Amino acid sequence: MLIDAKNVTKAFGAFKAVDDASVSVEEGDILGLIGPNGAGKSTFFNCLTGDLPVTSGTVIFNGADVTRLPPEARAALGLARTFQVPLTFESMSVLDNATIGALLRHHNAREARAKARDVLQRVGLGHLVDAPAKSLGTPGRKRLEIARALASEPKALLLDEAMAGLTPTEVHEAIELVRRIHGGGITVVIVEHIMEVIVSLARRVMVFHQGREIARGTPREVTSNQAVIEAYLGRRRVQHGAHL
Amino acid sequence: MKRFVIPGALGVLVLAYPLLTADSPVYQRLGALVLLAAIGASAWNIVGGYAGQVSVGHAVFFGFGAYSSVVVYTHLGWPPIAGAPIGMVLSVAVAAVIGVPTLRLSGHYFSMATIAVAELVRVLSSTSEFLGGAQGLGGPAMPRTVFDLSFISAAPFYYIFLGVLAFLLWLTWRMENGRIGFYLRAIKDSERAARSLGVSAGRYKLYAYMMSGAFTALAGSLYLCMFGFVDPESGFGILISVKMVVMAALGGAGQLFGPLVGALILVPLEELSNSYLGGRGAGLTFVVYGAIIVIIARFLPSGLLSLFERRPARQPKSDVARGHAD
Repeated sequence: MLIDAKNVTKAFGAFKAVDDASVSVEEGDILGLIGPNGAGKSTFFNCLTGDLPVTSGTVIFNGADVTRLPPEARAALGLARTFQVPLTFESMSVLDNATIGALLRHHNAREARAKARDVLQRVGLGHLVDAPAKSLGTPGRKRLEIARALASEPKALLLDEAMAGLTPTEVHEAIELVRRIHGGGITVVIVEHIMEVIVSLARRVMVFHQGREIARGTPREVTSNQAVIEAYLGRRRVQHGAHL
Repeated sequence: MKRFVIPGALGVLVLAYPLLTADSPVYQRLGALVLLAAIGASAWNIVGGYAGQVSVGHAVFFGFGAYSSVVVYTHLGWPPIAGAPIGMVLSVAVAAVIGVPTLRLSGHYFSMATIAVAELVRVLSSTSEFLGGAQGLGGPAMPRTVFDLSFISAAPFYYIFLGVLAFLLWLTWRMENGRIGFYLRAIKDSERAARSLGVSAGRYKLYAYMMSGAFTALAGSLYLCMFGFVDPESGFGILISVKMVVMAALGGAGQLFGPLVGALILVPLEELSNSYLGGRGAGLTFVVYGAIIVIIARFLPSGLLSLFERRPARQPKSDVARGHAD
């Protein structure tokens, strides 16, 4: 088991954003975390990466208990991530952005640069290496974040709404990219609320609603689950026969 | 070939400056003062510019350097420069003590904490008999050996300061192009993103702070050697800290030559205002610094050097920002 989170709870004061959630991700798997806005999936995600400390529960990564480790230590163990609202390094070039990731395994700046260039080529940003990162639009930034994370040579890549804000064509390209990354042997966890993305990518899906897991299974099983339909569309619309 | 002409000519000018001004002690002294200020501001630049942690309390380190030098003379009879390594080591330790709790604070809070510590040390130093109290302490009145670094002319100081500045800038340049330089810039842009890529932000900020503190202390020791005197205000005063920030920001914080450019403008300005206004202008220095801060913040947030940067070529239109569609 590469990622093994057990009974994770994250409370902000009296409010439990994540309530007793558990998940196991095997090496080579693609797991989707879905749920309506405010369901707690991003909070759960941030508990996995270490950006938020858990209130209770444990997170095991690659056999090591990382529950109390800061994000940088988890990254060093091979857990990479992207951000919902891209956090590219704005003052740097596209190449330097990816170089920061590559420096984790290649301490020499020249080697790191070569590695970064290689990764940028692979994700389709090869023609923009010298461009300032701030000249990129949302799709470019999201792609750059993925490149940067890949340059750190992770075992697992956690994508936080990597497709939000993209046009349908761009979503399609991004899905292809994630497929290729997964094909390269990297375990993927993806938070998403675009159903199409989850259905076409994930083998297993976990559905959040109000901080709790309400369903899990294959995308097909989950989308026909009554509780999931109600969570997404509300009770009344379902009675009127709406479908996902 | 052509691109070596201007730097080469500048280099010769810098080296020959004391000879060119041999018959004008005022200008020789001015040259040395510019270099000394540039050492302090360049040291500040490591943590304030590159790492983006704006310390407004670097006078702590400057004062530790100056006082270490004068204390080894007063209490042990050593040449003041022998206090420099002591001041540097003390400053590294002090940087660790201040930095470990305060570098976790973001933005303004770190700045405020550094001001508080510097002011605290200033007040404490003025009540310490060991440090000469409010009167301060003086170095050797007459040079005993050459190691007392007491010269009639400012030219020897000029060359000593030039050597130290060159070494510091070389070290900064090495850092800038190495792993730590990349990491500091990443932390400055987005600490959260940097940490997600395995950057131990706290550790790197602390390294930068310690290195910065050590060289600021060296500047303090050199100051003592040249002026032969330090009191709480000239060692730990807030104006010392502010000057470093303003010089670096004026030239370009986070740029190798930014602080030097800032010192080249501000030090002559300050000397001019002192000589024309004399005692009447004592408060005016603050007014001038305040005005400069406002002007930089409004018109030149990246400093003067940014005016000479080549604008990056425009990107193809295909990838311009598209709105968030969710």
